[in-house]
Amino acid sequence: MAYLTGVGLTAFGKHPGKGPVDLMEEAALDALADSGLPRDAIDGLISGYAMTYPHLMMGAVMCERLGIRPHHAHQAQCGGATGAMAIVLARHLIAAGACRHVLVLGGENRLTGQSRDDSVKALATVGHPEHEVPLGASIPAYYALLAARYLHETGATEAELAELAVLMRRHAMDHPGAQLRKPLTVEDVMASKPVSTPLKFGDCCPISDGGAAVIVSVEPLSKAAIRLAGWGEAHTHQHVSEIPDDLGLGAKIAAAQAFDIAGRTPADMRLLGLYDSFTPTLAIFLEALGFAAPGGAGRAAREGLFAKDGPLPLNLHGGLLSYGHPGVAGFMAHVVEVVRQMRGEAGSRQVADAPLAYCHADGGVLSSHVGFVLERVA
Amino acid sequence: MSGVALFRCRSCGHHWQFRRALCPACAEADPEPVEAEGHGTVWSVTVVHRAPTPELDVPSGYGIALVTLDEGARVMARAPTELATGMRVLVHARDGLLFASRA
Ligand SMILES: [Zn+2]
Repeated sequence: MAYLTGVGLTAFGKHPGKGPVDLMEEAALDALADSGLPRDAIDGLISGYAMTYPHLMMGAVMCERLGIRPHHAHQAQCGGATGAMAIVLARHLIAAGACRHVLVLGGENRLTGQSRDDSVKALATVGHPEHEVPLGASIPAYYALLAARYLHETGATEAELAELAVLMRRHAMDHPGAQLRKPLTVEDVMASKPVSTPLKFGDCCPISDGGAAVIVSVEPLSKAAIRLAGWGEAHTHQHVSEIPDDLGLGAKIAAAQAFDIAGRTPADMRLLGLYDSFTPTLAIFLEALGFAAPGGAGRAAREGLFAKDGPLPLNLHGGLLSYGHPGVAGFMAHVVEVVRQMRGEAGSRQVADAPLAYCHADGGVLSSHVGFVLERVA
Repeated sequence: MSGVALFRCRSCGHHWQFRRALCPACAEADPEPVEAEGHGTVWSVTVVHRAPTPELDVPSGYGIALVTLDEGARVMARAPTELATGMRVLVHARDGLLFASRA
């Protein structure tokens, strides 16, 4: 059994003067205070990587910084799915008897620590070095290729995709830590500058500074116990040239395993935390996982299905699209929000009741998928 | 001659682009290097308006397409900005890069 017993999160946006280590430390101390655990109870640590500080041993750097000597520590690297993968890995360490309390950390000054051009250039290298990168492809271009295919296959429209950005902004406006809080309409998204067709500026997440932390424990602590009830991974390809014809295949494989282990179905879920690097990412997940009809994610968002007071609230902190995306901490913010909602600690954003939630992230370009079911047990 | 380099499985006839020791379809070893005819269909296409490096930036953007070649392999290529999904194209290699144009 593994439980999420502590969560920590910084505001996302600009944190000038703070590096990845500072941001991870801030989130770690927040999560420790949240769990009530003393620092020396942490006997496992998994940190993410930071492109602004490409250290070979970030896990050890964080142990030193936090003054802890765990039984296990390392740096995990799986793109946008790193935090989700590390949470599942923490569960495996606990199940193996290797650790009792594992601290998972993500944090990076991706906005102020490098130029926008450097960030875009560095991210583009996730493509194939011989066959893709030299063509001038970039992360938005790769996702744009998938977005164009998605629109072609489903008949959905760009305006319908924009509904997802609008929904994320509406949720972010209720969170003081969100990077983008200005009201946003479908017209605003449609009128925003093209990045890589059909993606416009409004379809893309911002680059951010920020940190997040989650503690995974062998036992529930004093707060409402949130159990990691089921988990699944899928690694179907790496380069977009080799993506399966079914764009949602990896998400389906990972989710099927997670729901099977949890003994639950998607219809049991009352809350969602889904990776939303671009509006089509979110649409493809919602549809692959059965939370919306094929091509229907944007329409479902417009009709209120994923709203705070709807039947399936989604990314109530604003997601990557509006809370922000500092790399590894980006998706971890989804997990922090889900845990706070499940505990009833989300203040003005609080949903009625959410005993079961599904979280899902992808790393690369829909390449590596990690999903898990969370269940409130007390 | 298209100059588009592929690999072909000697056992099942599957074609693919990236170098690897075993056929991804049937795991047969020793794939055969072959050259594609160059005919294909656009699987997806985008026009990049914000290039990853300044030297690539052009005012009207540039196209990048994923093309399913008639042999079955999918390849990424530079493309004219007016291409659309489903169009028939010809792909050829120039200086190691692939370019698609309307067939
Ligand atoms: Zn074969």
